[in-house]
Amino acid sequence: MSAGQGAFRERVRSAWTEMRENPGRSTLQALGVMLGVASVLGGFSIADSQRRRAEELFVKIGGLDKLNVQPAAAVKDGTTPSALQTANLGLRGVDAESGESLDRMRVAGVSQQKMARMRVRSPYADQERQVSGIAGDYFAINGYSLEAGRTFSAHDLESAAPVAILGKEAASVFFPTGDVVGQQLRVGDTPVTVIGLLREKVFRFREGQGNIFAWRNRLIALPASLVARRMQGDAYERLDRVTFRLPEIHAMSGFSKQLDVLLTANHRLQRDFRLDDMAARMKKMESQGDIYNMIFMLSGVLALLGGGMVNVNIQMATLKERVREVGVKMAIGAGGREIFKEFMTEALLLTGAGGLVGLAIGIAFSKIITASIGIPLHMEAASFAWAYVLAAVFGFVFALYPAVKASRLSPMEALRYE
Amino acid sequence: MKTTETRAIIEVDGLTKVYGANGTAVHALRGIDMNVAAGEFVALIGPSGSGKSTLMAILGCLDSPTAGSYRFDGERVDGLSGSALARIRNEKIGFVFQNYNLLPKASVVRNVELPMLYAGVARRERRERALELLETVGIGDKARQLPAALSGGQRQRVAVARALANRPKMLLADEPTGALDSKTGHEVLALFQDLHSRGNTVLLVTHDPTIAALAGRRVEIHDGLVRPEEAAA
Repeated sequence: MSAGQGAFRERVRSAWTEMRENPGRSTLQALGVMLGVASVLGGFSIADSQRRRAEELFVKIGGLDKLNVQPAAAVKDGTTPSALQTANLGLRGVDAESGESLDRMRVAGVSQQKMARMRVRSPYADQERQVSGIAGDYFAINGYSLEAGRTFSAHDLESAAPVAILGKEAASVFFPTGDVVGQQLRVGDTPVTVIGLLREKVFRFREGQGNIFAWRNRLIALPASLVARRMQGDAYERLDRVTFRLPEIHAMSGFSKQLDVLLTANHRLQRDFRLDDMAARMKKMESQGDIYNMIFMLSGVLALLGGGMVNVNIQMATLKERVREVGVKMAIGAGGREIFKEFMTEALLLTGAGGLVGLAIGIAFSKIITASIGIPLHMEAASFAWAYVLAAVFGFVFALYPAVKASRLSPMEALRYE
Repeated sequence: MKTTETRAIIEVDGLTKVYGANGTAVHALRGIDMNVAAGEFVALIGPSGSGKSTLMAILGCLDSPTAGSYRFDGERVDGLSGSALARIRNEKIGFVFQNYNLLPKASVVRNVELPMLYAGVARRERRERALELLETVGIGDKARQLPAALSGGQRQRVAVARALANRPKMLLADEPTGALDSKTGHEVLALFQDLHSRGNTVLLVTHDPTIAALAGRRVEIHDGLVRPEEAAA
């Protein structure tokens, strides 16, 4: 009985000696843990990397932090609209304002958008194009930044000034010489001056894939008031889209509900608008992550189970050698508890060391996989913790059976075991 | 050791051991009475199947008797728990087996250190005493080697050194020369005689009368009983 101080250290030391004395057996036993930890960590990391990439994409394309309001037909086809329905003026700037005043603390930005298809002409090109009449924080919300010139001033937006800001692609089509700011463009019949050029927007999900933001570089932006009033003659300045940005993603569902109630009241209880279903979107994102995690957790657990079986198998295969050993140790004075502790110490040491190696293998594994599918590697501390804790639990559980069995051997039978 | 010479190390009274259940019960020991005093050299002799090995196991606290009383070093040990028996084996009994029973993958010195490890002896002291003991049994130069590198006689010396590690009250040797040639066997037996002459109590289990003749006293086991004429001492 190694009672007294330093007993634990002694046990660890002798377990370590034991491991060194039986390198083959120890390596095989640790192998299961290594592979289990590696597959849990690798699985989590690949899922995390993939999800991180998807979130990046989501945020960039106007993801989770934005709420869109669009007009919708309140009247079914073939029915005559009621007086109430015809009296409504659709989605307008006033909706954006009342939405913003609903929760000034949380709304970080509002943008308004009015779409139109127009003939756009320059000295170099003449094309039918979609133009966007915009107002509010459109550029900021959609992640545009200026490369040259200036953005619309409040005065431009109010007075329907004949000015335009171009995306990179649009600029290169209409002004291939590269001289963009200050040039004249005809949109419909209206001559407008280009006052700004936007930086190119690029996002590829994986290396080597196409730029999924190519369409954003086709933007031809004008003040919304210009498009509505001067080009379409709409005195009410109806809008095609109002976007609210809430940096706090968790406030989104609540805000979405409040806005729905407010706009319904404003629109005389006619549902002639449509809100993004944020709750559903959030849920989908989250459940996708959960499924990934479940799958990888399960595969890791299966690997650890396999590893555990291998471990028990090896214990059984070396049983004869071990039983004799236990018999000798018992004869010279090791009690059952001491034998149990020795077995457990050895198993946990093996699990610990194997787990560390497994983490290293897991990192390498994740690197190889993410590199081969061309996304940046993203690993979270929680994944390391999970992988290691799982391994420790499995190591403990699978060590228990042989350890208990060994500790209950009768010294005489163990000594005579053949 | 003169003052303790009369003190009994082993006091056995009506010891029985039954293996198996009622129908197929095997009565290995059927009422053994024997005593061993401190400092004695006793040979336990008997043919195979006589119950000698069973008695050895019980006397060595490796097994418990079915009935009867056993006092070891003045302490009642029949019916003690496994861990209590383990402590007695560790502190008071030194075993030497026929097939050495060394840990094959541990060095010679580590094998000798092991009983002291279980006794909680500090590392440095353990190492010092182990080397000292190896010197005593005449293989001080083999400390770092593995048992497999040693001859049978040398291995048995390691086993003796290990048996002596915790200064036991009794050395229990089970056919210690069974696996050795007669010359090496005699050397090992000489070692036991030497240890006895220095005051150690030795209980030697053997089936060989010539070896038993070396002991101060013979106890012959036959059919689970002590032969009467040999029991008187």
